[in-house]
Amino acid sequence: MFPLQHISRSNSPASPNAPDNLRDCISYWWNLTADSNNAEQRIPVESDPKLRNMASADPFDSALDLLRRLDPKHTTSHLNSLIQLAPDLTEDLLSSVDQPLAVRRCPRSGREYLLCDYNRDGDSYRSPWSNEFDPPLEGGAAAAAAGSLPSDKVRAMEVRANEAFDMYRELYYEGGVSSVYFWNLDDGFAGVVLLKKEAKPGNANEGTWDSIHVFEAIDRARFTQYNLTSTVILSLSTNSHGLGDMDLSGNMTRQIEIELPAESDEQQIANIGKLVEDMELKMRNLLQEVYFGKAKDVVGDLRSVGSLSEGVREREAHREIIGSMQR
Amino acid sequence: MTSLETVESFVEGAPPGELADVINDIKSLTINEPEIVSQLGPAFEKYNEEQFVTVKLPGSSQKVIISSHSSLGDGRYYDVESSSSFAFDHATQKASGVQSYVLEGAQVDLVKSTLKSLSTYVKEHFPSASYGVYPIENDSKVAAIIVANKYSPNNFWNGRWRSLYIFDPSSSNLEGSIKVDVHYYEDGNVRLLTNKPITGSASSGTGAGVVKEIAAAEKKYQEELNRGFTSLSEGAFKGLRRQLPVTRQKIEWDKVASYRVGQDISGGSARR
Repeated sequence: MFPLQHISRSNSPASPNAPDNLRDCISYWWNLTADSNNAEQRIPVESDPKLRNMASADPFDSALDLLRRLDPKHTTSHLNSLIQLAPDLTEDLLSSVDQPLAVRRCPRSGREYLLCDYNRDGDSYRSPWSNEFDPPLEGGAAAAAAGSLPSDKVRAMEVRANEAFDMYRELYYEGGVSSVYFWNLDDGFAGVVLLKKEAKPGNANEGTWDSIHVFEAIDRARFTQYNLTSTVILSLSTNSHGLGDMDLSGNMTRQIEIELPAESDEQQIANIGKLVEDMELKMRNLLQEVYFGKAKDVVGDLRSVGSLSEGVREREAHREIIGSMQR
Repeated sequence: MTSLETVESFVEGAPPGELADVINDIKSLTINEPEIVSQLGPAFEKYNEEQFVTVKLPGSSQKVIISSHSSLGDGRYYDVESSSSFAFDHATQKASGVQSYVLEGAQVDLVKSTLKSLSTYVKEHFPSASYGVYPIENDSKVAAIIVANKYSPNNFWNGRWRSLYIFDPSSSNLEGSIKVDVHYYEDGNVRLLTNKPITGSASSGTGAGVVKEIAAAEKKYQEELNRGFTSLSEGAFKGLRRQLPVTRQKIEWDKVASYRVGQDISGGSARR
C-alpha cells in the first residue's frame, strides 16, 4: 500500500575508509553523494542533463522534468494539470511529487497533524496522535486498512517518534506542526517525518516551510541501513511600494544512505532523529545559499549596480599597480 | 481546462532559456495527440512577445527584440537601430527575410535620441543586453525595452531581466515595469519572480531625459531588490526555522528517545 517511491534502493557498498562516528558518517556520505563535483559520484537525480537528454523520453520523466521547470510556487496546480493531461500517470505523480502539506485537527486529541500520501486511505487520513482515521473508515475499508497499519511494535515506535519530533519542532521551529508516520517493511520499517511552519500572517514578509523526510530502516546483520530522502519546500514573498512584488519559492531534495548500529527501539529513534536533524541543518544552509546567495548573484550578473566601464578602469588600474610593483 | 489550454499555460510558464525543454516535455506527454503541439503557434507568439525574446538577424551579430511594440503584423518585426524588418518564426525562434526598414513619422527624432542614450546606459550596466525603442499608438507615445539574459544550463541556472517603459511626450509621463526571473534547478526547483511597476516623468521630453529617468529607476529598484533579499533572509526565513535551538546545541537524541516529561533534552546541559 505504501510504495517507497521516494527511495531508490541502490546498493552502495560501504567503503573500508568510511568513518564510524555518526556525524562524520553523515558528512562522509553527504560529500560522497551530494556535494561532490565529480558528476560520476552524484546521485543520479532527474536534473542530470545526461539522463534528461536521453532519446527515449518517458512521459513520467517528462512530467517530472516539467515540474522541475515550472514555477515551484504552483506545483500543486501544475500537478493537477498534468494529471488531467495524462491520467495514466496519476498514481505515480501523486506518490512521487512533494507538495506543501495540509493541516488537519485530530477530532479525538484536538491536536493538529499533517496530511500526506503515507497516512491517507481513500479520502481519510490517520492521525498520529490517536491512530484513528478521519473521517472513520467504514466496514470493508476499515478491514482493508487494518492490514496496512503499522504493527503494534512499529506503532509504539511511531508514538515515541511523534513525541520526540514534537520536541524537535518546538526547539527548531518554535511553532508549526509535526507528524511522523511509520509502516512495516519485510526487512525492517520505514517512515516519514513531516514538519510545517508558516510565518505569522499579516506580516509584510510571508513564508512557509515544509519538510518531508522519507526513510527506510533496513535490518542488516550487525547494523541498520538508513536510506533518507529529504525535501524542503520553502516559499517566501514580500512586497512594498519601493520593491513591488518579490517572490522567492522552491523546493530542494537531498538523499543519504548510512549504516548505523541500532540495538533497541530507542536507538532507532535516536538515529532517525540525528539523521533528520543533520539533514535539516545541511538543507537550511543550502537553501540560504541558493535563495539569498545564488539568486542574488544571478541578478547581479544580469545587471550591475555600479558602472561597468568604471569597473574595467579600476581593474586596469589595479593591474598596472601590480605590474609596476613587479618591475 | 482543455488539453490545449493546459499546455499553453506550460509554455507561458517556461523559465528563461528553457522553452525548448518545456516543449520537449509537452511533446512527450502529448505523443498520442500530436495535433496539440501543432496548435501552439499563438502560445509561442505570446511567450516570445511577452518575454522580449531576442534573435540574431542573418548576417548580423547584434540581437534584436521581439515584442508587440516592434511588430509589423503577419509575423514580421522591425528594429530601429539596424533599420531592418524581418520575418520571425515563433516556433523555431529564427529570423529570415530581412528587408530595409526606414522609420518615419512624428516621433523619429525622439526614438533615435532615446535609442542613442539607451545604448550608452545599457552598455554601462548590463554585461549582455538587448534594447529597442519604438513609436507606438499612432506615433503618440514611445516604448523602450531592455532585456538581459544569462543562461548557464550546465550549472542549472538561468536568469532574465526585462524592463518596458512607455513615454508619453504630451504629458511627460513615463510608465513601465521591471521584471526579474531567475531559475535554479540543481536537485530542486527554485524561482525568483519579481515585478516592479515604475511611474515617473521626464519633463525635458528629450531622449536623454527619458533614459536618465529609466537609469535612476533601475538603480533604485536593484538596490531595493538587494534589500529585499536581506529582509527575507533576516525576517521570514529566520522566523521559520532556527539554525540551532536557543541553547545553540544540537539535540541529545539518546535522551529524547527515552524522554520523560520535564526533562531537558536540548543539549547545553552540565555535560558540555
